[in-house]
Amino acid sequence: MPDTDVIVEMRHITKRFPGIVANDDISLQIRQGEIFAFAGENGAGKSTLMSILFGMYQPDEGEILIRGRQVDISSPNEAVALGISMVHQHFKLVHNYTVAENIVLGIEPATRLLGLIPYVNMRPVNKVIRELSERYGLEVDPSAVIEDLPVSTQQRVEILKMLYREAEILIFDEPTAMLTPQEITYLLDIIRKLRDDGKTIILITHKLEEIKQVADRCAILNHGKLIATMDVATSSTRDMASKMVGREVIFEIDKELARPGEVVLDVQGLTIENEHHVDVTQDVSFKIHAGEIFAIAGVAGSGQVELADAIAGLSAVKTGKILLEDCDITHTLVRPRTLKGISYIPEDRQDVGLILDFLLEDNLASKAYFRAPFSRRSILQRNAFDSYADDLIRRYDIRCSSGALTMTRSMSGGNQQKAIVAREVEQDAQLMIFVQPTRGLDIGAILSIRRRMIEERDKGRAILLVSLELDEIMAVADTIGVMFAGRMIKIAPADQMTLDEVGEYMMGVKQS
Amino acid sequence: MSGVNTIIIDGLALALPLLIIAIGGIFSERSGIINLALEGLLGFGAFCGALFAYASVTLHWFSPHSMIPLYLSFLVAALGGSLFAVIHGLLCVKFRANQVISGVVINILSVAVTGFLTSQINVSVFGGPSSKFDLMTAPRLTIPLLSRIPVIGAIFTRFYAFEVMILVLLAIFWFILYRTRFGIHLRAAGDNPQALDAAGVGVARVRFTAVLISGALAGIGGMCFAYSILSNFSAAIYMGYGYLAIAALIFGNWKIMPTFAACLLFGLAQSGANQLILWLKMDSSVGDLAMIVPYALTLILLAFFSKHNRAPRALGEIYDKSKR
Repeated sequence: MPDTDVIVEMRHITKRFPGIVANDDISLQIRQGEIFAFAGENGAGKSTLMSILFGMYQPDEGEILIRGRQVDISSPNEAVALGISMVHQHFKLVHNYTVAENIVLGIEPATRLLGLIPYVNMRPVNKVIRELSERYGLEVDPSAVIEDLPVSTQQRVEILKMLYREAEILIFDEPTAMLTPQEITYLLDIIRKLRDDGKTIILITHKLEEIKQVADRCAILNHGKLIATMDVATSSTRDMASKMVGREVIFEIDKELARPGEVVLDVQGLTIENEHHVDVTQDVSFKIHAGEIFAIAGVAGSGQVELADAIAGLSAVKTGKILLEDCDITHTLVRPRTLKGISYIPEDRQDVGLILDFLLEDNLASKAYFRAPFSRRSILQRNAFDSYADDLIRRYDIRCSSGALTMTRSMSGGNQQKAIVAREVEQDAQLMIFVQPTRGLDIGAILSIRRRMIEERDKGRAILLVSLELDEIMAVADTIGVMFAGRMIKIAPADQMTLDEVGEYMMGVKQS
Repeated sequence: MSGVNTIIIDGLALALPLLIIAIGGIFSERSGIINLALEGLLGFGAFCGALFAYASVTLHWFSPHSMIPLYLSFLVAALGGSLFAVIHGLLCVKFRANQVISGVVINILSVAVTGFLTSQINVSVFGGPSSKFDLMTAPRLTIPLLSRIPVIGAIFTRFYAFEVMILVLLAIFWFILYRTRFGIHLRAAGDNPQALDAAGVGVARVRFTAVLISGALAGIGGMCFAYSILSNFSAAIYMGYGYLAIAALIFGNWKIMPTFAACLLFGLAQSGANQLILWLKMDSSVGDLAMIVPYALTLILLAFFSKHNRAPRALGEIYDKSKR
């Protein structure tokens, strides 16, 4: 293919964030008029790379060429001037404005009233919008107000916004994450039409089926590195999945065979709906025994976090039952569940797991402060907090500048997580739920938390692990349950599944 | 003159200054900046306007009986109000301070600063100890034929010239908010500043300008009260009309025309209560109770209508470019 076809060229792009290399020496070429997809797990670096192209981040090393000319894209405005536009995962729309007002925001056409006073005249705009929407099959009413429109229509407004600004390179960041299957089909059709009209499309996604359906070529990223650039037509989804998951070195952790005992948690036909009354899990059933680590694998948004929240009592159950040691806790409040024996390490450690502006000792005691020795006749016993915290800081190796009296916000993410783990482990709960426990931590902290999970298992506790990291699941799980689109599609002993198999179930490539 | 006429005349004289202050509040809050500082802004604006008017009369800057000081004093009040609003703008937009605290502090500061300066200037410049600047009462106008219409005629009877000015400003600022590019950017900043930023418009500049406008309009409103209700500038200017304007704009759902209706309601409620006390020949000490009426009405109305209210989505949100 001649070089003149290349519209975007990235040369040796490297971007580092504190503690992590988000993009590691990435070089690639995107051709005019193709649909180019970026695939990779969460945190693989695909969004960072596209944010660099869109001017939201500056690369630490490397250069970008647009239409063969080297450019320095230091802001989204400059990207737009180069004909690059992006539909973000979170739409940037003004909710109480009409579709037309949103499309022209910042470049409103002004007419002069009495030849003197400039005012905004939307009439010509509505005509242009109607033409554009007919041309690409983007049905929208220019005078509709955004907040009355469903998500899929709002997305069309974002696309029209790009087209109105005459963008040539359109970046879509996980565009199908919030759409129904029919809406996805419709969107993919639009994307094809845009390509056929000569636009260059960049699609960021972790759904391989979509790439297979629309993309011409696909770059696979893993841990910030470009693994491969493939022609989609001649590659199998299976092949792409194995490259996407990668074959990272799995950290060695000594682990003996599990000796499972009685059933601790019995989840029966659980269906959970979100605040929009959409089912996020459907009829999920599984059991966890004492002395067993049950790990749920799945791509982000498969319903696994909602499932963990429901078991911990943070969200309501629509149908189904949760039994903890044969006792029905489906509709029990959080504190009785805690006292009965559930500890919970939530996905969002800063918002749900900790009160950042409290002292470390207050956070360490935040699940027990209401009872002795922390509270006597409803009066808090500060010295009990002090000595308890000192003990945990020593035993769990929590690094903090002023000991028990450290402000939690000032601690590093890894040590905040250690504090949560210490608090939850000390509850002596029969069931421990870990959601994404090592996300964003350094290798030392990751290993220490994984070892802790296995130690607790060996003490005879039942452990539920929800993780997006396949490495982690393969390293610690005794039993693996794979969730896909809200369903538990496969449950098997960990030693009977390979990493590739789990990956294929996660992507929905393989059904049991 | 009938009691009903008095209710309408006094009601409008209160409602329209209240409206211009509330429009100022709408500009600030629709851009996303909470403005509890209206009380302080109207006071400081009135102080500046009154100082100018008093000085120009006392120091004979213009010929006696000239109306120029009166007109210019509104301009000075607007400049003074927006000057004081610079503090709110800097704190909220540039230094990302808590907008509620900034507003409250400005109110307290305004009372203290104007009180201090009024006595000091009186002693050192005008050579007499006093805690106020006396003003002429603004002239009242009556339109000959229209004023004879039963009931409605009261609208055209004994109204202040500044009431007409406020109606003109109402039209101008309605046009700016809903029909100009600046107005579109302003309202977008209060709903989704990220969207505005992504469209290439600077959020900080829009919000800062909006706060300055709110200062100017509050200053004009304060000057109206100085001329009408008080006939002077003194600490009595701080009688809570800034807060009442905030109640009116909340009750008016942050929209100009419904806020106009709310201001009319509050104005008529107060003048009605005043008349009631006259008719019942109640003791003048009880008359202070009439002051409660608009506020009590606010509480009741807000309790019933709040569920239909929708504040600007990004109201009070400190805009951070890097947040996504």
